[in-house]
Amino acid sequence: MRYYVQRVALAILLLLAVSMLTFGALNVLGDPLFNILGPVAGDVNNPDSIKMIEVAKREFSLDRPLPVRYALWLSDFVRGDFGVTFSSTGQPPVSGVISERLPRTVTLVAMAQMFAILISIPWALITASRAGKVSDRISTLNAFFLVAMPNFALAVILKYVFSIKLGWMPLTFVADDPWRSRLFQMILPALTIGLPVAAVYQRLLRTDIITTLQQDFILLARTKGLSRTRILLVHALRPSLFSFITVVGLNTGALIGGSIVSETVFRIPGIGSTLVESVLRNDFPVVLAIVMIVASSFVIINLLVDFAYTLIDPRVRR
Amino acid sequence: MNSSTPDRNEFEPLIETVNLKTHFRTPRGVARAVDGVSIQIRRGQSIGVVGESGSGKTVLSRSIMGLLPRNGVIREGSVRYGGEEIGNRTPKQMRSIWGREMAMIFQDPMTSLNPVMKVGRQVTESLRLHLGMSSSEAMAVAEKIFRDVRIPEPTRRLNQYPHELSGGMRQRVMIAIALACGPNMLFADEPTTALDVTVQAQILDLLAEQIRDRNMSMLLVTHNLGVVAGYTDEIAVMYGGKVVERAPTKTLFQNVKMPYTEALLQSIPRLNQPSHSRLAMIPGRPPDLVDPPAGCRFASRCAYVRELCRHEEPPLVQAETPDHTFACHFPVGSPEYHERRVELTRASGTTAGVS
Repeated sequence: MRYYVQRVALAILLLLAVSMLTFGALNVLGDPLFNILGPVAGDVNNPDSIKMIEVAKREFSLDRPLPVRYALWLSDFVRGDFGVTFSSTGQPPVSGVISERLPRTVTLVAMAQMFAILISIPWALITASRAGKVSDRISTLNAFFLVAMPNFALAVILKYVFSIKLGWMPLTFVADDPWRSRLFQMILPALTIGLPVAAVYQRLLRTDIITTLQQDFILLARTKGLSRTRILLVHALRPSLFSFITVVGLNTGALIGGSIVSETVFRIPGIGSTLVESVLRNDFPVVLAIVMIVASSFVIINLLVDFAYTLIDPRVRR
Repeated sequence: MNSSTPDRNEFEPLIETVNLKTHFRTPRGVARAVDGVSIQIRRGQSIGVVGESGSGKTVLSRSIMGLLPRNGVIREGSVRYGGEEIGNRTPKQMRSIWGREMAMIFQDPMTSLNPVMKVGRQVTESLRLHLGMSSSEAMAVAEKIFRDVRIPEPTRRLNQYPHELSGGMRQRVMIAIALACGPNMLFADEPTTALDVTVQAQILDLLAEQIRDRNMSMLLVTHNLGVVAGYTDEIAVMYGGKVVERAPTKTLFQNVKMPYTEALLQSIPRLNQPSHSRLAMIPGRPPDLVDPPAGCRFASRCAYVRELCRHEEPPLVQAETPDHTFACHFPVGSPEYHERRVELTRASGTTAGVS
């Protein structure tokens, strides 16, 4: 119990640090006034413009010192108020943008993770049981190919083959379609993210299964007359999952990164593409909110991974 | 009774190997781990296979069972189980025999049980597979076997994981797993080596008792002649992949023929010796299995070696004592042996006098 309290406290500290760094970096790197006021922001010789700049600065609290602004933002943020977007009207509020777009990205990333896991486990089991044979070598080549290929290239290839040539899959995402078709439209984007990740998982899990297969208890399982499939599934898989689930947890960050490319190529208005747009527009509140959401989910998933160890290995239970 | 259970003839060997060879392909060449071994094990008989590390004793037991690593194995000769040739069966064909007719106990109970599976399930697994029992039937049987192997509080233990049990308890679980389906043949590969000395005797007693009660045959692999003494009917001594002496246990201890066996006997630590007395050891190392020496493979380490030994490999011959065979040109008790013995005692006597 105490262990988990410590873990949660650490996680909160980590999130605070992330928010401070992001907040500071954003404010050093860009000037949001241009985005709020348009060309007026640059017209510093005109008294009218200067007045408008003053008003905007006050309205968006840009005239206060950085630490004060951080404190203001933080106190709003923890109360669930993500602030306003840096635009002339301040509309829509950041929470509106997030609540509209986050579900799409969550679905996409979850789907990608699911594909990665569902593909990598059987793939690793099969290749580990025939390690060193021709099929294993071909699989290794394929895995390296998938890992080495840039995400956007894979996206374009998948889109070209399955949407344009074969016509099996829809070309783009349509936000107004019913949820079933939207899920269907997400398959290719999710594969774009998930396939390279599946290859990484497979490499890792394959090695661990090969190591497990050399253990004495596998030999004992063989002396019982169990079939190879049963030995693989019942005896070898579970003890081989430790580094696998660690990496699955850590990879959540990479998946969200992958969603940026995938959302752009497949035109999904999720938070990945929003993040890119907002960074380009110096829309700090949106960027901050997204960074915080990504960081929190990363931390939470890794807490869950910690808990998953205890499910897999009775020896870490206390 | 299962149709493949051999019970045609009580006197026919349950297991018989004829000129069994198991060679491994290694980067250096072919290693002859088992090089032409012929042994018979009758029903209800316990046989001890004794030798140093690398003598081929473990490979022999695995070869008989057909449980060899898939890569780089060349196996020749015949293995018969109940008169039926099983030497050329594939692992797939052997699965109905493994666990059901033959079972194996390993050296290290720490690593031989699945760490993430409850021990009860590890016992019931083969019951459900081979005897088609339901989960609850199998659990009931497992509990009974746990009682047979004297695991206290069997009901509670069934639901525990290996790491919650002591080493001796885990070895009992392993024995329970082996006994589960009532096999005819048990291979025990150094079953007590990894255990506490105080637990070793308990485990061996338990094994002996279960073997007797269930009329099973056992092949006990060990490097310790002291272990096999009280628990086997017959002993086969292996050296460099070959059986160099074989005799009923009593005969072997009373009338040892092969100098290697004698040396093994002398290297058993004895409790009645004064403490800090030097342990007897066999100088040198076991022979290279890739490029075995010509002649007797023990020649380079043998105190009684003569020119003939280095050129001509001694055949297995019958001793004057019944059922006793050995492979030595100048066995213990021969005139040449005595002659050398006198020389050796004189030599060690002089050095002792000097120092």
